[in-house]
Amino acid sequence: MANDKLQIKKLHALSSENRKFTFSLPLKHSIRIGKRDYEVKLKSDEKLGPYILWKNRKYPVEIVRSRQNKYEILFNDISYTFTVETPFSLQRKIVLDSKRGKVEQEFIKAPMPGKIIDVLVREGATVLRGEPVVILEAMKMQNEILSPVNGVIMKVYARANTNVMKDDLLIEIKVS
Amino acid sequence: MKIKRILIANRGEIAVRIMKTARLMNIETVAIKTAVEPNAMYLSSADVIFDNTEDVSEIPVFLDIEKLIAIALKTNANALHPGYGFLAENAYFAQKCIDSKIIFIGPSPDAIYKMGNKTIARKIALASGIPMAMGSEGNIANEEEAVLIAEKIGYPVIIKAASGGGGRGMRIVRKSDEMEKLFIIASKEAEKSFNDPSVFIEKYIENPKHIEFQILGDTKGNVIHLGERECSIQRKHQKLIEEAPSCALDDNLREKMGTMAVQIAKAVDYYSAGTVEFLLDSDKKFYFMEMNTRIQVEHPVTEIITGIDLIEQQIRIANGEELKYRQSDIKLSGWAFECRINAEDVQAGFAPDPGKIISLNMPSDACVRVDTGVQAGSSIVASYDSMIAKLIVKGKDRKDALKNCKMALDKVWIKGTKTTLPFFRMLVRHPKFQDGSFTTAFIEKDLEKFYFNSEYEEMLAAWLATKLFIEENLTDESINIDFEHGKEMSPWLLNKRINQF
Amino acid sequence: MDLSGKPYKAFIQRQEAIKKQYSKKQAEKQHSKGKLTAFERINLLFDNATFEEIDAYVTPADQPVEFGKVERSYGDGVIVGHGKVNGRLIFAYAQDFTIMGGSLGIVHAKKIAKIQEMALKMGSPIIALIDSGGARIQEGVASLSGYAGIFHNIIHSSGIIPQISVIMGPAAGGAVYAPALTDFVFMVNHTSYMFVTGPNVVKEVLNEDVTSDGLGGAEVHARKSGVAQMIYDDEENTILALKKFLSYLPSNNVENPPVVSDDGSIGDINEKLRDIVPDDPNKAYDVKDVINQIVDRNSFFETAELFGASLVTGFARLRGKTIGIVANQPKVLAGVLDIDSSTKGARFIRFCDAFNIPIITLEDVPGFLPGVDQEHSGIIRHGAKLLFAYSEATVPKITVILRKAYGGAFIVMNSKNLGGDFSFAWPSAEIAVMGPDGAVAILYRRELADSDNPVELKKELVKKYRDKIANPFIADELGYIDEVIDPAVTRKKILSALNALSNKWVKVPARKHGNMPL
Repeated sequence: MANDKLQIKKLHALSSENRKFTFSLPLKHSIRIGKRDYEVKLKSDEKLGPYILWKNRKYPVEIVRSRQNKYEILFNDISYTFTVETPFSLQRKIVLDSKRGKVEQEFIKAPMPGKIIDVLVREGATVLRGEPVVILEAMKMQNEILSPVNGVIMKVYARANTNVMKDDLLIEIKVS
Repeated sequence: MKIKRILIANRGEIAVRIMKTARLMNIETVAIKTAVEPNAMYLSSADVIFDNTEDVSEIPVFLDIEKLIAIALKTNANALHPGYGFLAENAYFAQKCIDSKIIFIGPSPDAIYKMGNKTIARKIALASGIPMAMGSEGNIANEEEAVLIAEKIGYPVIIKAASGGGGRGMRIVRKSDEMEKLFIIASKEAEKSFNDPSVFIEKYIENPKHIEFQILGDTKGNVIHLGERECSIQRKHQKLIEEAPSCALDDNLREKMGTMAVQIAKAVDYYSAGTVEFLLDSDKKFYFMEMNTRIQVEHPVTEIITGIDLIEQQIRIANGEELKYRQSDIKLSGWAFECRINAEDVQAGFAPDPGKIISLNMPSDACVRVDTGVQAGSSIVASYDSMIAKLIVKGKDRKDALKNCKMALDKVWIKGTKTTLPFFRMLVRHPKFQDGSFTTAFIEKDLEKFYFNSEYEEMLAAWLATKLFIEENLTDESINIDFEHGKEMSPWLLNKRINQF
Repeated sequence: MDLSGKPYKAFIQRQEAIKKQYSKKQAEKQHSKGKLTAFERINLLFDNATFEEIDAYVTPADQPVEFGKVERSYGDGVIVGHGKVNGRLIFAYAQDFTIMGGSLGIVHAKKIAKIQEMALKMGSPIIALIDSGGARIQEGVASLSGYAGIFHNIIHSSGIIPQISVIMGPAAGGAVYAPALTDFVFMVNHTSYMFVTGPNVVKEVLNEDVTSDGLGGAEVHARKSGVAQMIYDDEENTILALKKFLSYLPSNNVENPPVVSDDGSIGDINEKLRDIVPDDPNKAYDVKDVINQIVDRNSFFETAELFGASLVTGFARLRGKTIGIVANQPKVLAGVLDIDSSTKGARFIRFCDAFNIPIITLEDVPGFLPGVDQEHSGIIRHGAKLLFAYSEATVPKITVILRKAYGGAFIVMNSKNLGGDFSFAWPSAEIAVMGPDGAVAILYRRELADSDNPVELKKELVKKYRDKIANPFIADELGYIDEVIDPAVTRKKILSALNALSNKWVKVPARKHGNMPL
């Protein structure tokens, strides 16, 4: 009823590779390895900017992006993407994923800023996974952007000889 | 010294490197300021800066022969150092410099031309008795001919574009029934990439090591070698880490290969610094690949183990001086690694990750040398290469150098772009790299993961994400809103606002 | 206290009956769809134990027996009431899909109308949490007139109190107009839909196959139709975001927006701003980087992010005070104004104007999007909306020209003679009738045609044009902008301008209302 407050007792950080890290609330400033708790500290100084201090080592961290409950974190030069889920939203995710089964559309986005040199597919064409669809030039290098799926090209947003920014939509593919 | 003032026709790390030696030799330097990098670090090392920021041309000035000559003349530079990349191996440019009475710090235009053309270079090597992978003599007309030649030299063979490089137009053929298809693909790709469909065939050497010899020659006909470098760790023909010497060579083999390297250099009357590249197969048979007629990115590892400043030697040779070293003077001592720290995203297949370097911390240990053209605040721009710094680490032997390298890598701290550091951190921990048994196929065949993270790093990152989520969403203090304050208004405004309705 | 006395017996019985009604089983059914129950949503939204429900025990209207048995439930499928969100009074109604599919009968409608009228009387924002199958068929025209009453109330309150809809399940048929009339619409990805006619009707009439998600899912409405402004992946995040969103808005059109303490981590002089706009005028950048370096840290809340993305709109704070930001986005279509971005901008500006939120415009616009499609679809009419909205707004209006400000788009984007209060320009600004390439092609057509090397000549002329005409200094000298400023002091300049404008009052001529080109 009205006072059955949804108490959040746990949070799960779900990595992009579906690894789950569970933390109980209130969040402890330590991480247990085996039987010992090791203290974790988020600190910042002028020279290094923010870093995490753990087991006497400083690890540089950078919050690259955060959007809703999605966090992209650069930790010691490696990026990790997590969605932070409550027990309910995690359950919802599992329910919806099993219902949907698979993604129907795939959006190919520019992985880096650059110039489109060539668009290798047209709308209506069938592409196979791994087939190059766009050639993007960045830093003097021509990069082939490959289709991640088998499918049919629905829409081509990329145009040859135009500049694109990172994450600009290039191609929309209907997964088959 | 004839050379009074050098125009550096380059940028970044190598420009800084050249100017450092020039300063020690009391030679003035001229750097070119471009619109792309008006605040680049290399500018602060120069005695004279030529401002080219108003240049609206789409070709970078470092590729513009006429412009560079004009700048040299305008700034009274009587010599020019091309660095590496850009016009460093352009015979026409070298000739143009000579014609304009500018000393080109590099080899003769003739040597550049001969070694730059693969077919001519092969012929010269063949004539000098240098071991080479068997191959077609010249270009191949069609797939039938290709099959015939391949049968003769034995599979596997590699089809290469005659006027290419960098992996394009290259195909490895293992069986005769693959030949027709792959020949056509290679030829088409060559045409697309280099406007020239001609290809040739060579014996393909499986899983070789990449060994190169540093050469120094003077204008008096003396040529020596400074030992080898191993650059087998490559990704798509881009070198990532280099070391000197190589654990694959013993003194005997070193002498044999070194002698061959000197021999081919002599065949083109080579002077200045140069590099002869070989492939070394698992039976310790070596094959000539090509000669690079410039200073190489990885030259510092040779400098470390020989104690010779290669840029200084280049300048002295260009100045007409005779080499003061004989082959017997060259002693290799210790071991050195060079990690090319690039602004690349290892997790995204080494895709360039341009951006601004916010902060940068390099180790200052005695065993570490850092060659860089980047400081905090510098930008890694998309129009040039993605190098941030070269981390050069030495030790008394390979094991010691490797240990130092591991230590140094953990001390490097770069913020602003993603870098190849996680790759090197993985590499120095990899058993195959540690025992030296890696080959040029290492990255493709032996690696599953291109970066290193300790067991707990991901968990710490997850902890941080959770902490951020709580701070943003679940902490009552995070939204500390004062609604009463919003109601405070000057009577003037409040009255008018209310009267409006 | 002994409650076993006679008058309390019925009281307790009712309490127990209603408890039974919201059984675990029903909650699980809702959970199995990935949805929360209406009460769970309410509890997430309101501060701990502050929600007071009213009309909990009303029962559905009588219905003709021909349509079978009607569930005799308490509340008639909707929970209405008031409570505190972040400490402030907020009214809300939440439809309960577990009771008759959340369908709207006349009692249900009357409950909503009641709370709407209360919110208007108190001058407090109202939130609609929508999860309903639509009109209750059994109740016929009574249900329809119920909708009409709700719509009328929304329109009545429009511009007086903020009204926000959160779609957390289906909203179909006429029901969609309730959210459409409110100020902002939030949607939940994959579990909420809005359409006038559903996939079945589309199939019947047009023989087209389409899923609910594909026809009217959150992504569709956020990206293509512009019906939804904010979308989230799950309900908890949706409601958390809504709470955050509310913190920017005043309770009504007389009050000023609330004030939040600023941690001071964005300095009034911020040199990072000098580096964001590239020197090359043809290079793109993300204007959100500029916004984030001007406003209080982490305070930018973007609205309608996916729709008309060449114009960025959203709320932010400067020293804790709410501002509305309208900024061209060079990263998307070079920042041109098109139909979608014009209408999006116009609606956002009118909201800010209604609720006393100053408007900061960051301008880098090459012009309107050319093309047959745009012209035929009425870019003139839609562009006029943006113009009208800017000119009509009487809240403080400040413009900073970051780079391009060309032609008609320069006029539209809050130019000074359109009623802008302060106009600043960065030294990188290019203010002119058109871009250098176009201008040179017209001005020097003959010279270019006669030249041996037209490419080089054009380059030279473009440079000359940029030096002589397309810069901020001419406009500055003529007084069409107030000052050319160092980018680093942008925040400082805006703050002092806002300070000067804090008592701004403009007398609008008496009229029923203007006639905006719709």
